[in-house]
Amino acid sequence: MFTPGKALLAVLALAAPLLVACGDDAGGNANELRLWHYEGPDSAMGKAWDAAIEEFEDTHPGVTVKFEAKGFEQIQKSAQMVLNSDEAPDLMEYNKGNATAGLLSKQGLLTDMSAEVTERGWDKLLSPSLQTTCKYDERGVMGGDKWVGVPNYAEYTMAYYNKDLFAQHGVEIPETFDDLVAAMDKFVAAGVTPLSMGGKEYPAQQLLYQLALSKADTEWVDNLQQYKGDVDFHDEAWTYGAETFADWVRKGYLGKDSAGIDAESMGVAFMSGKFPIMMSGSWWYGRVQSTVKFDWDTALFPGSDLALGSSGNIWVVPEGSENKELAYDFIDITMKKANQELLGNSGGIPVAADPAAITDEKSKHLIEDYQTLVDRDGLAYYPDWPAPGYYDVLVSATQKLINGSASPDEVLDELAGPYEENLANVGG
Amino acid sequence: MTRRLVVGVLAILAVLTLFPFLLVLLNAFKSPGDYTTGGPLALPDALYFQGIVDFWVRVDFGQKLVNSTVIAGSVAVLAVLVSVLTAYALGIGRVKGRLWIVAVFLLANLMPQEALVYPLYFLTKEVDLYDTRLAVIIIFTAIQAAFGTYLLSSVLSTFPREIVEAARIDGANRWQVLWRVVVPISWPTLSVLLVFFFIWTWNEFFLPMIMLVSNDNQTVPVALGVLQGQRLMDATAQSASALLGIIPAVVFFLIFQRTLTRGIAVGAVK
Repeated sequence: MFTPGKALLAVLALAAPLLVACGDDAGGNANELRLWHYEGPDSAMGKAWDAAIEEFEDTHPGVTVKFEAKGFEQIQKSAQMVLNSDEAPDLMEYNKGNATAGLLSKQGLLTDMSAEVTERGWDKLLSPSLQTTCKYDERGVMGGDKWVGVPNYAEYTMAYYNKDLFAQHGVEIPETFDDLVAAMDKFVAAGVTPLSMGGKEYPAQQLLYQLALSKADTEWVDNLQQYKGDVDFHDEAWTYGAETFADWVRKGYLGKDSAGIDAESMGVAFMSGKFPIMMSGSWWYGRVQSTVKFDWDTALFPGSDLALGSSGNIWVVPEGSENKELAYDFIDITMKKANQELLGNSGGIPVAADPAAITDEKSKHLIEDYQTLVDRDGLAYYPDWPAPGYYDVLVSATQKLINGSASPDEVLDELAGPYEENLANVGG
Repeated sequence: MTRRLVVGVLAILAVLTLFPFLLVLLNAFKSPGDYTTGGPLALPDALYFQGIVDFWVRVDFGQKLVNSTVIAGSVAVLAVLVSVLTAYALGIGRVKGRLWIVAVFLLANLMPQEALVYPLYFLTKEVDLYDTRLAVIIIFTAIQAAFGTYLLSSVLSTFPREIVEAARIDGANRWQVLWRVVVPISWPTLSVLLVFFFIWTWNEFFLPMIMLVSNDNQTVPVALGVLQGQRLMDATAQSASALLGIIPAVVFFLIFQRTLTRGIAVGAVK
């Protein structure tokens, strides 16, 4: 008769010990380095950092590394709260930029590691454009004087070419910007859409920015990204970028339907051999290398000294870390030649490796192009960096360019608004 | 004729509902190369189990299953218990101003979780429960019980007064009326609530992600988030993980489907 009530009590009785067991807690420990990052185990960084963990444990007998693989979104959403509690790790990978590392540094949650950087000589390994994203001022704006993090890899965007499709249609791999336009014309004439594009996410805005960059210089980039001077969204570079983009849409270089395509589908479409060209970042490189069956090549965007790119994510040491010295030792291992070369040979872009030491042909090409770019100080960061929420503004603006629902001039106005609003807030 | 039409429409709807699940099933057993060449809709060239195995090992999925089961199970039981007690007072006890009390309870349910995050974060830190499963259990017991109270109190307000009065005349006190009369008769409703609470809590993502910092404490949906990279996602690995994530909830539902019908049958005989 009373079974339901009894059953409920029985279940509760079963659950009670489990509940009590939930209260246990992991605290800090002097013989443990708590490390968090969110790179996949098969990525270049994942492989190199795994090796670094092994080396760290060999060189620090008695100390274990407690590594936890995190999701990108979890770190993005909860980093501020975690770092403000006693659950903070000793060392973690974090996004560079004003809205992420800059913000946490402004709130005093990240350790200022300037002294450590000069003492261990990391500043000599990093080129000036990489250092920009490591150093923040008291407003949390990058390019300051306080070292908040250190990257051990870099990234940049380039053109990916499907050589089989080029050969099949009798088109030469382009060397100059005019070659590129001529090649795309030939593909269009043959009924092939030349560019794989994703207007729903970052790829379209990166192309727009890349086109603008081909008429810009480093001063223009500094003004835009670090608020060092006047920014005019109707200047030569931006106007050229927006108009060329609209022109490319008109000529059919990129599909009208690409406004609704996300980055993943863009990459998959290129890798399955449907498009001859993709303009995107080095983060695709390893995946293209391991999955693509056709003959392919990459090159820097033709006719532009500047390209999108920056340091990779940075190592940061939370202010609440109890083992800062161990954390610095770990960073040091990832900056050393051996680990940098492993990163390079796994398809990543090391910040301080000798290209001659890279044995894998494809990886070597990737790193040589990167060196060329760095040597001419050509890393121009990303268009969504200057203002919080700017990513969505750019997505909507480029979608309008693809759909043809706004003129290049109107689109540039749309970009100028939120930028200037943010500028007023930063007080630049 | 109309019968066939209805069956046809239902079949189409069933396929539409099952389509995402089928897609997950299809891609979970594909190798990444296969996915790139064939796209998401093609049948796999060969069955590929490595995606599932890799994911299981990478996130220590067994531990996540235990965490999710403990959290969702405790929340389901505790929230039903709390709901019964509050709804007894509101629905049968006819407390003064019960409409307002129910409205306040409902408010807790309507609040977006994003608005709750900061207060909850500071509270859990204050009582040293941040990054514990217990914190998540307490939070979701409160949230689910709010809905349970709302639902049960309106169910119990239509509870036949004669039965309660007959029990009181037989000498039962309030406590006995609750446990020996009200709970057994409303058992079917309670078990439906139990199942819902379990599945809802199982699928929660946002608050567990914020509250459970250590990987050892994380739940299944949070573990699935590990695969979503900054710029890249691995569609096959995600399908494999989604499949692993769906299966426990489906299994739970299938098991309790039977007890549900039994519960309803018992109620009917009475």
